[in-house]
Amino acid sequence: MTHPAPSLQVRIGSLTLRNPVLVASGIIGYGAEYERLVDLEAIGGIVTKTVTRRARAGNSPPRVVETPSGMLNSIGIENPGLEGFLEIKVPILSTLPCAVVVSVEGEDVREFCELVEGVSGSGVAHAIEVNISCPNVGPHGLRYSTDADMAREVMTAIRPLTTLPLIAKLTPNVTRIAEIAAACESCGADAVSLVNTFIGMAVDSVTRKPILGTVLGGLSGPAIKPLALAKTWEVVQAVDIPVIGMGGITSPRDALEFILVGSTAVQVGTALFANPSLPEACVKEIETYLRRSELPSVGDLIGALEVPPERGVIRAGRSAS
Amino acid sequence: MNLVPCTVVENREITPGNYLLTLKVPRAFSRPEPGQFVHLRVSPEVEPLLRRPYSMEGFFEKGNLRGVRIYYSVVGRGSKALSRQPKGQRLDLIGPLGIGFAPSPRRVPILVAGGRGVAPLLFFSRKLRAKKRPFVFLFGARGARELYGVREIKGGRLHLATDDGSIGYHGSVLTLLKREWKEGGHTPLTAEIFTCGPHGLLHEIAEFARAHGIRCEASLEGPMACAVGACRGCPVPLRVGAVENAGRYPAMCLEGPVMDATLVDWDRLP
Repeated sequence: MTHPAPSLQVRIGSLTLRNPVLVASGIIGYGAEYERLVDLEAIGGIVTKTVTRRARAGNSPPRVVETPSGMLNSIGIENPGLEGFLEIKVPILSTLPCAVVVSVEGEDVREFCELVEGVSGSGVAHAIEVNISCPNVGPHGLRYSTDADMAREVMTAIRPLTTLPLIAKLTPNVTRIAEIAAACESCGADAVSLVNTFIGMAVDSVTRKPILGTVLGGLSGPAIKPLALAKTWEVVQAVDIPVIGMGGITSPRDALEFILVGSTAVQVGTALFANPSLPEACVKEIETYLRRSELPSVGDLIGALEVPPERGVIRAGRSAS
Repeated sequence: MNLVPCTVVENREITPGNYLLTLKVPRAFSRPEPGQFVHLRVSPEVEPLLRRPYSMEGFFEKGNLRGVRIYYSVVGRGSKALSRQPKGQRLDLIGPLGIGFAPSPRRVPILVAGGRGVAPLLFFSRKLRAKKRPFVFLFGARGARELYGVREIKGGRLHLATDDGSIGYHGSVLTLLKREWKEGGHTPLTAEIFTCGPHGLLHEIAEFARAHGIRCEASLEGPMACAVGACRGCPVPLRVGAVENAGRYPAMCLEGPVMDATLVDWDRLP
């Protein structure tokens, strides 16, 4: 007798995703760029390039450099701004056959509020990812996610402005990521997503210059996967809201690892550039794994990692009490 | 533009460090324009992580076989990995991508190649020849050995320059261009420039073109992550005040790699 097809549905607040595989912000633009390369009908959804209040030209080149098993970037959130987004991008996004999570980032609390209201009012977003963690936008970006009080301030201000699920995207460039995650949860975040990129640097010893135009950039790619898994593990134990894990997913098995660690959903990032069919392959891998394990739902895999309790908790940096 | 599988038909080292790669592609790969590029997975392994953008040296159809040729030099990890791919190796590519050369209907095209930058211009010259359009081809390289494809250039007037004087004019192809412009009696209304090569050379050619009001297209080179306009990782800096939209960065992958050379801020282009 054959088993019924396993359920891949997951919930992020009030949003039901048909499966837990998303494409991360900054990777797929606003969906249309990759329309012919990524099967959007096969995946859970996409997270858009971050939208800021005003249009941004982005940082001086070079903006990307490949490093061992990774990529450093300093794009600087080049985007058309809220008005441009509403005018140009919303009509395109409204035609996409998958969930659309719109990523926003403000320079201050007021801008965050205007963005959340604007995006919420556009009707195109199924959820909003609040990017309080970009390392490439001057002094303000990291401020909101390296300081629990400031993260709280943003989340508290925007929470009443929308009924859409709010996902706080966190930076790993902090000592205690669990504290920031818990602060976001306490102020009404429906989920947290992590990790954004690790701050990194590349140097050309011949020219004696930094390779990136901005000197520092954000590191992504398979090089960061073990670091990202550890941060995800730490946050999963600190909050009760869904955790969306990402960082270096390069093969379908990597997506499973994030789910086993406790991610309700995962986001594919840098590896998409090399392999546009990776998100779809992740979905298939999860389904195959469930069938092989004779499990009815992906929910049975979330956090199913078997860890000796005393070890896991200590490693996670959270007291057992 | 599609993601298509491809197979290495030939990957031959022509001169030390310089390779000619022939890839078999399926019908889903549409006919490219000279100057367009492909975003190639250079190895079946995870490393190198990113694809590499390559201009095409040529495109051909023979019966059921459809193929692209890439002329490349080993300069870093990506090209090194590519140079190790044997005949029969399966890879994949995204393409054709970007904007190619756009000759105006009546001006005489003057093609100026520097070193391995000759690749897209060879492709272009074949198309001009097929259309029976006269053209001038100026080709500069370090030495005679680096003048790849020079015997392929037919149907146009060819002048060579080498840094070591081993063949043709002893000096820069820029000097050849200036001489051709003067002695050929060209004007901005009768001729235009298409160039590809090291950015230093392109910068000098762009300055010459701008000073004389000559239409000049250059094929640029640079690292790319997505190559489809999504990641914004390949910005081309424009001269301030050059155009109304200076202050924004066109993406090399979408609005290039062939661009109006006189608008580019070459000092800020890596």
